[in-house]
Amino acid sequence: MPGSPFPRDPFFPKIFLSHDLLPHDLLLGSSPVMPRYSLGLALVLPALTIIVLFFIVPLTASVIGAFRIGDGFGIGNFEKAFSLYTADIIFSLAVVALSTLLIGLFSIAIGGYLVLGENPRAVAILRWLYRWPLFIPFIVVGQILRTFLAKNGLMNNILVGAGILTPLQTTGLLDWRGIVIAFVWKQTPFVALLVSGAMASIDRGTIEAARNLGASRFRILWEIIVPQVRGTLSVGLILSFVTMMSVLSVPLMINAQSPTMITADIAFRINSYGDYGVANALGFISLILTSCVAWIYMRQAVKERM
Amino acid sequence: MNAIMRTSLALLLLSAPASAAELTVLTAGDQNMVDYVNDYLGPLFEKENPGNTVRVVGTGPGDAGSQKIVERFTAQSGAGSAKWDADVAVVHEKFAGPMVEKNWLLSYRGDIASGKLVTRSNADMALGTKVSGFVMPMFNSQTALAYNPALIPTPPKSYDELVAWAKKNPKQFGYNGIKGGASGVSFVMGWIYAYGDGSADKLMNGPFEEAETKKWDKAFASLKEFNKNAVLTPGNAGTLDMLSRGEIAMGPVWVDMFYSWQANGQLPPTMKLALPAPGMPGQPMHYVIPAKSPNTKLAEKFVALATSPKVQAEGIVKRFNWYPGIDAKHVQAELDKATWDKLFTSITPDALAQYGKPFPIAPYNNAILEAYERSVAN
Repeated sequence: MPGSPFPRDPFFPKIFLSHDLLPHDLLLGSSPVMPRYSLGLALVLPALTIIVLFFIVPLTASVIGAFRIGDGFGIGNFEKAFSLYTADIIFSLAVVALSTLLIGLFSIAIGGYLVLGENPRAVAILRWLYRWPLFIPFIVVGQILRTFLAKNGLMNNILVGAGILTPLQTTGLLDWRGIVIAFVWKQTPFVALLVSGAMASIDRGTIEAARNLGASRFRILWEIIVPQVRGTLSVGLILSFVTMMSVLSVPLMINAQSPTMITADIAFRINSYGDYGVANALGFISLILTSCVAWIYMRQAVKERM
Repeated sequence: MNAIMRTSLALLLLSAPASAAELTVLTAGDQNMVDYVNDYLGPLFEKENPGNTVRVVGTGPGDAGSQKIVERFTAQSGAGSAKWDADVAVVHEKFAGPMVEKNWLLSYRGDIASGKLVTRSNADMALGTKVSGFVMPMFNSQTALAYNPALIPTPPKSYDELVAWAKKNPKQFGYNGIKGGASGVSFVMGWIYAYGDGSADKLMNGPFEEAETKKWDKAFASLKEFNKNAVLTPGNAGTLDMLSRGEIAMGPVWVDMFYSWQANGQLPPTMKLALPAPGMPGQPMHYVIPAKSPNTKLAEKFVALATSPKVQAEGIVKRFNWYPGIDAKHVQAELDKATWDKLFTSITPDALAQYGKPFPIAPYNNAILEAYERSVAN
């Protein structure tokens, strides 16, 4: 953050940018450059081998597989993927983008209340409660919400029992709305954890100063706190975006309609047709989508360090 | 010291029976398939063949589970392994044909006693491929329409009646599309049998002709129209869930799941089944033995036990509500009347014989699914 009067958020660089110290140390380190360099290499080698063996190689194989048709290469798999699943690709993007937006808003709200809340008991309860979904796997979330959100499910039964709805007014939420609810419910605590950590460590003086000048709590949150934790927030949201793009269980458990998410299509291509070509092509498309988001983040991170 | 060691070694050698072996059974399907072998069939086999043990590996539900077994065999065949790491596999019908064509399997039906008790045609032809000798059906499964008689006193007798009913009662019929399990797939296949312009017999028996795949446009257009009056449910279990919660009044289900859910109290006992004309598909799951199994003789014994009338009656019909793999008349003698009646009340043996169809052969099957994705789901 060039020219920013605020100290840089300490949480963010510690976790996500510590690796950028490494090359500096290795290449520009003091006198004996070579021995330190080879020592560093030796230390990195096991990790590097594992990454190459278990990540780079399968990824490359999958990307190559996306272009393989019979014995040759071509873009036939992509043509088929787009002709059958364009609606699903757009659907996945829209659902995940909407979820990311909501997760951002909710985690700012939670983090903000933890920092600015004036009722210590309410803050303590919220601090204790909000992390729970972190420990629940996606498939369990899907399973819980599948019965909770159904037309005659638990939620609607409660609403009908309380006299808020009549049985005829109920609708099931087991479609894109169910997916968004599941994603937001599961991922908000993760981002809120990062964001509230960052918020807790910013200079309280800036908050107090704004308060002295008569700013409302909402204005302090939006104009003083959020800009200072922007980096952490975007890291959290990008990691959530990538995670949600890869979830299979939730769309399978909750969304019966078409369109559905790309992950469900990938599974279907493999399980029903044994067709790895189109599945790889869909995987590649999903990879491009997530890479775009990662690229936006990288660009911003680089710009901030300049 | 030396003496003690030698004695104990000798004892160890003596105590192990010559035939001791571990029989590895791979099974596709839900957890209940694994439980079936672990809790019932395995112990029974170990009791009859002392010293041997049965180890069962579940590879997961649906076609995906069978696909994993195929991939395991592909790998071992490609590596040229002399002995494979499986003795018996339970696979879906769709995968039995390709396995036979690749010469991976042992032809064993003639060698076991229960081999003569199977006459149904799907034990000889698996979706267009001749498999006689190589497979023994573990059970036959069938899809049908489950309905709530309180809301539907007379169930539709045909797809035509169903379409008319759904039009009058929108959003009361639910099925799980084609990506959420085979009961929805089965409903779609039945739709093509009923409304496709080609011949349904050709779809079931082959041969595959590209031209045939162009004859479904009208059927899919009408299915898309029908879908506007239908609800899409999340999975095979999703349809049953929605039925039991009263969100839909009718939907296609697997007969065995239907009865199991009723037995567990997950589905009201009043629900009933109907099989509409011109029929809906069902499929067997087959026992196969890899030709390179390390224990072929023992594997044959295992399958012989599993397909004996007693085990078919007690295990397959009574415990799981599946239709038996071997011919029903051989099993009837081993069953009490109540159990027999339960399985054949809603759908009589005659209706089953008339409207219980096989799935289309594999290439048509895939073509229909893809055409559905292209023209109905897109």
